[in-house]
Amino acid sequence: MRVSRKDFLKLSATSAGVLTVGSLLSGGMKTLVPFEKGKVKLGEKFVPTTCWIGKQDCGLIARVVNGRLVSFQGHPDHPRNKGALCPKGVAQIQSIYDPNRVKTPLKRTNKKGIPGTWEQISWDEALNTVADRVKDVLERDPRLFVWQKGRSKAKDFYDDAFVKSTGATKLHHGAFCSDAGYRALEYTIGMHGVLHPDMRHTKYLLSWGWNITNAGGNKFCWLTWPQQLVEAKERGMKVAAIDPRLRGPAHFADDWLAIKPGTDLALALAICNLLIEKDSIDHEYLRKYTNSPFLIGDDGMFLRADPEEGEEEGKPLVLDQATGLLVPFDTEGMTPVLDGKTSVSGGAKTAFRLFKESLSGSSAEWAGDICGIHASQIEQVVNDLAANAMIGSTIQIDGKMLPYRPVAIMAYHMSQQELGFQALRAMLFVSMLLGSVGAVGGQFSDFTWKEYKNWSKFADISVKEGPYNIYLSGSKFFPINSNNSSLVAKVINNPEQYEVDYIPEVFLLHHVNPLGSFPDREENIKAYEKIKFVAAIDPWLSLTADLFADIVLPAATIEKYEGPMSATDQYVDATAMRIPPIEPLFQSRGEIDIYLDLCERIGVLYGEGGYLDIVNNELKLRDTDFALPLNVKPTPREIFDKYSKLNGLEGIEFFETEGVQLKGPVSSSKYYPYAMETPFGGILPHRLYGESLLVAQHRMMEMGADEIYYRDYTAFPTWRDLTVESSPPEYDLLLMSTHMIEFKQSRTPIPMMIEMVPNQVVEMNPKDAKAKRIADGDEVIVESIHAITGETRQVKSIAAYRENIRPGVICMPHHFGEYVKHPWVKGTGPSPNSLYFTGEGYVTNTADQTYLVKVKVTKAIGGK
Amino acid sequence: MTSYGMVIDLNRCTGCRSCMTACKVENNTTQGNFWMYTFRFEEGEFPNTRVWFMPRPCMHCQNAACVKVCPVGARYKREDGLTATDWDRCIGCRYCEVACPYGVNCFNWKDPNKNHYLDWNDPELLAETGGGLPYANPDLKEEYGDENRRIAGGGHHKGVIEKCTFCVHRVEDGLQPACADVCPTRVIHFGDFDDKNSEVSKLLKNNPNFRLLEEMGTEPNVHYIGGQPPTSKTRQIEEVKARV
Repeated sequence: MRVSRKDFLKLSATSAGVLTVGSLLSGGMKTLVPFEKGKVKLGEKFVPTTCWIGKQDCGLIARVVNGRLVSFQGHPDHPRNKGALCPKGVAQIQSIYDPNRVKTPLKRTNKKGIPGTWEQISWDEALNTVADRVKDVLERDPRLFVWQKGRSKAKDFYDDAFVKSTGATKLHHGAFCSDAGYRALEYTIGMHGVLHPDMRHTKYLLSWGWNITNAGGNKFCWLTWPQQLVEAKERGMKVAAIDPRLRGPAHFADDWLAIKPGTDLALALAICNLLIEKDSIDHEYLRKYTNSPFLIGDDGMFLRADPEEGEEEGKPLVLDQATGLLVPFDTEGMTPVLDGKTSVSGGAKTAFRLFKESLSGSSAEWAGDICGIHASQIEQVVNDLAANAMIGSTIQIDGKMLPYRPVAIMAYHMSQQELGFQALRAMLFVSMLLGSVGAVGGQFSDFTWKEYKNWSKFADISVKEGPYNIYLSGSKFFPINSNNSSLVAKVINNPEQYEVDYIPEVFLLHHVNPLGSFPDREENIKAYEKIKFVAAIDPWLSLTADLFADIVLPAATIEKYEGPMSATDQYVDATAMRIPPIEPLFQSRGEIDIYLDLCERIGVLYGEGGYLDIVNNELKLRDTDFALPLNVKPTPREIFDKYSKLNGLEGIEFFETEGVQLKGPVSSSKYYPYAMETPFGGILPHRLYGESLLVAQHRMMEMGADEIYYRDYTAFPTWRDLTVESSPPEYDLLLMSTHMIEFKQSRTPIPMMIEMVPNQVVEMNPKDAKAKRIADGDEVIVESIHAITGETRQVKSIAAYRENIRPGVICMPHHFGEYVKHPWVKGTGPSPNSLYFTGEGYVTNTADQTYLVKVKVTKAIGGK
Repeated sequence: MTSYGMVIDLNRCTGCRSCMTACKVENNTTQGNFWMYTFRFEEGEFPNTRVWFMPRPCMHCQNAACVKVCPVGARYKREDGLTATDWDRCIGCRYCEVACPYGVNCFNWKDPNKNHYLDWNDPELLAETGGGLPYANPDLKEEYGDENRRIAGGGHHKGVIEKCTFCVHRVEDGLQPACADVCPTRVIHFGDFDDKNSEVSKLLKNNPNFRLLEEMGTEPNVHYIGGQPPTSKTRQIEEVKARV
């Protein structure tokens, strides 16, 4: 009786014999016809498409009855979700028909800074108004135009084309997500990603701040990782959770290290130290593929050979084990000394020796004190890592013998902490010492081993004199820079302090709600007050749009063409598209339609270097038979039709009927860097020693930057006390925040989800709560303090007793109060973003936002 | 014979509540009515804490207390093991709700048309959809089984009881219940226990298992593997208290 989903879809696609062409949508779209069974209703059809609600773009089958969307189910062949869906994916059906959507273009009729009153206007008027303002600033100074993005829920070719064709400054959300980790990995191994395992083979996983049950982890929004995790657990993988709160890893954790938030760097250093002490390290990997054997002079710089002709500087030198001579690191057939010193340059030592020496105080007890965990727990982790890493072992994959090191770390959003960049470096060092980077079962950070542009950029970190752009790119303040738009707000509010000589005038908000989503709401409010013209593209009226938008352009949700989306689950390669199951509701339009029209009116659509030309380039259509003509405005469907044909398909009809193009398993030579022709694709040597970080530090000092900016630009990750810890002692608790699966990444007020999580709570350990005479369910006031300026902020919420959170830490989930005018959002409570600060002390050395602040919690007077 | 039931694997459950949501969409249940409910549990004291999750549909008991108390025969057992509710016949006495030890019955206190989350008759939406719940599932008004009774879906009338139907409208079409179909980590398995080769029969045979409130003698057709039943020391966290 069981009909698998796969059979069901096949049945639905084939039992009618032929696919018929529907004509519900302009452009003559083909859709799946319903399966011919007894109870099929007239007018029923199934449309394969891609989920709109999250970040990982799961495959969907939309059931449409008489032109109405009735439900979504997971696309059975889509590698990312394999027929399943997260709760938001299912519940988005409600939000598509939400009568509270922005239905028509809107024009503000009252002053800005207060909740808006709106007049419905035509698309023509709205687009002309926006285009005129953009044209005006572009003619005067392109720097005055800022395009700010939350998320494009598809490949970002169309927004990149808009940014490039207009010359806008682009702001994005990475600095609020996990970019400190991205920068650390890009710097150290050249990969664009944070940390995840080779889930098929990993035997021991450090789930380091990974909220398994609620939030994605590296590269995926959510669903794929838990699917792979449960399979791995059933295969016998052990999971040690390093997390202040057990709610995330839940019963999937075999061991729990309830670490104090923000102290991960100290723990990683201790683990490194103990691994070296035990000699549980992969000498061969460190010698061959990292700069560990490079000799460092007393100035902290590599000892280098004399430059060869045409080279600016000579090659770094190593000590040849066989001859005792200093030779260039890439000398053929030579084995360098890993742990050694020489008599030259004041006793130059290998980077590895220096690292070892820098760790001399980093004992399990030392880290245990800082991190609030037992030294024995750290020792246990080290023993498990060492035992499971099987250093020296190999395994045969696709006929090739590859290193087998089945231990790895999963870490993502936790990288947004004050020492995040260096903490993630140190955590990666754990995997590097074990030799598990890129090994079978080992440490991964992206799905294929390809060099990210920052790898070479970071070899020589640019530190320029001012004036700077608004996000301080290449500045003496944040030379490695993750583009933090709250910091931009601070810059707009204090341009002279940051050596910035202009303030932007026009902002275009693309699915972004900075006042709701980004910490330091007050700083952002002050900044938007200074912006002369703000337009927002969004299906809902966000808090930011409500207070500051002049024009709101209603975006469609799932009912539009969008793509292409990678559909890989890291092991199977696939591509998918978003296909509109129904026409756009109300007067909403897809973003591509909006940008095509906007560019036409701004005058940047046609010709070389125009929007269409850049789209051709981004989709690799340029100079092919399928290139878009540069003088005709295409429909989005036509763009994707060309893309499909370029990729060997008959056209967009393929995606309209199948939904996903399966390309088969990712080959081991693409996935495992040891199986590549040149190991690691030649992105070598991995940077254990951060020479260029030290160079950047020297440059920053020379330019007179304050210590607060340069102190974490050190060659090795170095622990220091956190800024928050200098807060007054009465602020005795640390606030951290988390995602809940009901809201994570949706940027959408879905009533069914809000019903399940109707209000904000402050999770507290009962020990802490009882000491303050706070009962479970009491209304409480949470007050945060800025450790440097003493500024305080307050919100009211409800206390919730939790034994799964360590004492001394409280936790508030995100995504409350973001769409204020929505009837389901009213009264759901504050966002923790109202308590956080941005700027010095609350960002990393890479300008990444932190989510940690000291607070005091008191029972609200008059509360229950 | 056929005896439909479920095997729920607690080891795999992430507590994401996709099953609750899929149930609501598929069966068009109104605000506040959860036929499937996923508990999020906490046990012990820091640092010896345990967090785990447990989906709880209707148990479709073989010896169903709710069936015995129904004065009008609206609640009845089908031959295939499903415990069904005929919403044309239900008089809303709520005896079944009292008799059921699992708390799976939901009463429609409000006019369903006024209790469906949003104003679906908003004039501009009306122009797009023609009115009513836009995602209304047309299958729910059909008659099912040899008895030809209307037993699928929810939110049909004010003053009528409803509960999990095991998605009878899907099962009769050869599909799995929506909760089993949607589950990201394959926690919920649905099938025929009378078929020794079915997946559910095999799972039950090969794993230690339990049923909820076994001592009540209700003989639930929902079995759990991969865990232990909750105890008096198990605390519910993130409880859904519906806004009714």
